[in-house]
Amino acid sequence: MVLSLGLKPLPRFFESNSPVLKMLAIPAVLLLILVGSALWSGGGVEQRADLTYINRGDVNTLDLNRMSWAQDIRLAYALWEGLYTLDPQTLEPVPGSALPVEISEDKCTYTFRVRPDAKWSNGDPLTVDGFIATWRRQLEYPDEYAGLFHCIAGAKAYQEAFNSADLNVRSTADWSAVGIIKIDARTLRVQLLYPTAYFLSLTAFPSFFPSHEASMEAFKELDPATGRARYDESYTHPPNLVTNGPYLLKEWRFKQKVRVVANPHYWNAASVGLKVIDQIACEDPLAMFLMYQSGAVDWLMQVDSGIAAELLARKDPDLHVFSGFGTYFYSINCQPTFSDGTPNPLADVKVRQALAMSLDKRPVVETVTRTGEATQDTYIPPTIFKDYPSPGGLSLDRDRARQLLAEAGFPGGKGLPRLTLIFNTGSHHGDVAQIASRQWKQELGIEIELQGMELARFRERLNKKEYMIARASWNGDYNDPSTFTDKYRSTSAGNDAGWISKPYDDLLDAAFKEPDAAKRLQILANAEGILNREAPIIPVYGYTTAFLIRPTLKNIPLHPQSLFLYHSIRVESGSKQ
Amino acid sequence: MTKFIAIRLLQFPLILAIIYLVTFLLAWVAPGSPFELSDRSLDPLAKQRLEREFHADSAVSFLAYYPLKILTQGDFGPSLVQKGWSVNKILFTAVPISVTLGMLALAIALAGGVAIGTLAAVKRGGVFDALSLSIGLVGVSLPSFVVAGLLLVVFCVFFKWFPIGGWGTLGHMVLPSVALSLLPMAYIARLTRVSMLDTLGADYVRTARAKGSSRQTVIWKHCLRNAFLPVLSYLGPAAAATLTGSFVVEKVFNIPGLGQHLVNSVLNRDQTMILATVMIYSVFLLAFNLLVDVAYAWVDPRIDVTAKV
Repeated sequence: MVLSLGLKPLPRFFESNSPVLKMLAIPAVLLLILVGSALWSGGGVEQRADLTYINRGDVNTLDLNRMSWAQDIRLAYALWEGLYTLDPQTLEPVPGSALPVEISEDKCTYTFRVRPDAKWSNGDPLTVDGFIATWRRQLEYPDEYAGLFHCIAGAKAYQEAFNSADLNVRSTADWSAVGIIKIDARTLRVQLLYPTAYFLSLTAFPSFFPSHEASMEAFKELDPATGRARYDESYTHPPNLVTNGPYLLKEWRFKQKVRVVANPHYWNAASVGLKVIDQIACEDPLAMFLMYQSGAVDWLMQVDSGIAAELLARKDPDLHVFSGFGTYFYSINCQPTFSDGTPNPLADVKVRQALAMSLDKRPVVETVTRTGEATQDTYIPPTIFKDYPSPGGLSLDRDRARQLLAEAGFPGGKGLPRLTLIFNTGSHHGDVAQIASRQWKQELGIEIELQGMELARFRERLNKKEYMIARASWNGDYNDPSTFTDKYRSTSAGNDAGWISKPYDDLLDAAFKEPDAAKRLQILANAEGILNREAPIIPVYGYTTAFLIRPTLKNIPLHPQSLFLYHSIRVESGSKQ
Repeated sequence: MTKFIAIRLLQFPLILAIIYLVTFLLAWVAPGSPFELSDRSLDPLAKQRLEREFHADSAVSFLAYYPLKILTQGDFGPSLVQKGWSVNKILFTAVPISVTLGMLALAIALAGGVAIGTLAAVKRGGVFDALSLSIGLVGVSLPSFVVAGLLLVVFCVFFKWFPIGGWGTLGHMVLPSVALSLLPMAYIARLTRVSMLDTLGADYVRTARAKGSSRQTVIWKHCLRNAFLPVLSYLGPAAAATLTGSFVVEKVFNIPGLGQHLVNSVLNRDQTMILATVMIYSVFLLAFNLLVDVAYAWVDPRIDVTAKV
């Protein structure tokens, strides 16, 4: 056979009648492939970094315009710096790459001056062009956070015109009409529609960080048909990525680890404590925990709730549990009919209030989650925003609940169609749902069928409002209550309850225009009060975050937003293992 | 034989095209979108724009764009979910790791399985035979996450002989390959045992022993060669399966291999990734099956794979 293929080498071996030799050939070939791939897949031991941590899975994207996952945002704070940045302990906005801002009398004009010593990681001086590049790209190619820019004059109109399907409308998109004005290389003037108290917090958010256009240019692809640009995302891989923050991206091995090293060109390089930081990618909660136990990593940013509950009971000193930045709740379909056309009894506010007021949430946090969560009757966790007067919500009152249900026309639950509650499998949602449905059956006589399904299917049904009651949650993005309240505007894509309330929308609009910060928070609280009372959602508990931190790490703030500035972290010398 | 190989190779493109089409259709009709996986819902216009950008707005535009890209540039396109990476780059990092892991596991399974099976057949009815049968049963029945978890806890946490997870050094490779090898090892042991029993009872074996050949020669030179054929035919699909990585072993040992991409891409509805991983798996399967058929004829010249009845 071999001869017929025309192969002449090693004829004696192949013609040999020794079966043992022939048999050994198979493992020999396997061994060759093995050694080859072992060498190819990379090996070798590296020097241990100053700080090694696990941030859950791998980084999703380092493109500032597409970034939305918490783990990406955390890393963004290491690599970039905005006009303003966050104070390492209080997370309040403080000047970053810009000098302290000049705000006009009417609080609508912000003039930023970039620090003269601010540079990119390749030595180029930092100019306002970098900021304008990101902001403009977000409006032209809007992603999840495009809405954050709509407080800027002309921004929303520009975004809609540029993205219109109608060519005539597209040609009217005029960048000079947008309130982002370059005065000179280092001076940027921003014109806001209304006084926006939290605008400085926004400039400290990754969507507002600068992009180094020159290095991205090589990766730009223009679609000839539409004229729209796309960036090949290898511009975000080392060594191509140019950033302006305390660290630069040294290495990114997919689903293995990301290594960042101190940026020598950072204007405040002297303040950077840790020079080399590794982020290890690990998805399995047990494997993560074992890596911490064995000393391989110094900090876990996510601890499985079962493990955390166990450690909490044991009072483990390395475990830090603190208030999170979101709420776990049940979303109720408020539309007049269900997706199949049948009338929706849950559209009646009394039915929803009955469900909300008959639910005792304590068993959920005491027996299911067990990591120090507090039950909540409000949509927004009451303590996470400074000076926010939380309005309170519907508290447990079973007699009143039964009364409301009877007033709605369903005394003792009679007359209600069979209701379904959907949730995604794979977490504790099923357990929580069982507690809730059991209570609703016992107290109100309402039959609820539980339907678990896989995540993508669940998300689709929630987004298309093809459900009756669904498990849901919301985590805030930035340090202002509007990150919660905007979700339930009647026009918002995130309003998956289909709840429409003109008084609520009006209050949100009023808050948008209110220049006085305290009055504005009160208006938002009033709006939240309406939402809590009309119960398109039933809040259950507020999330907590659990970290496992080695005692040698200092200066890590335990702030609800669970953000931190890596350059302020210090390692106490000695036991680094 | 050359003709045989050539015909088989010519069939590859057709088979792969059919697999591609069927996989695409199945993935396409599954509900859910790769662009809406978090608890934030996208504005419908933004979603449409994203779909258009990734040529995922209709089946026709997808099929018009991506297969051509694969054939002309060998580029599977961008991952719809892992936004920072193209599918090719991801596979480039994952495939060598899975191949290494799979080859190592297969080598261990082959060596161990053949040895155990031979010994069990030779010492038939004895203690070793019974032991190997029960261990084999355990190997086949125990789920891989149990075995992997046990190995992790015993050897990494308790004895601290190996690093906990990850990939890179030889130390990282030992435990996962052992965990992955147990199932094929059990099968190979059983197959070897049965076919060895067959050949041990054959006439030519008795003749060889009568002639004065040592036991060793008879077992290893005469019997094993004939008994190896069933194992060889099992090796084909086994190689393809272990090479593409085991999702569970990779998850427990935190290895960035192909197995997790196979599963996660489906859960995330990442069309381009699903197609790429299924194609890789198919190519491996077809290639190894062909290799096995060719190896058949080579190991035992009496077999003529090209024969027609």
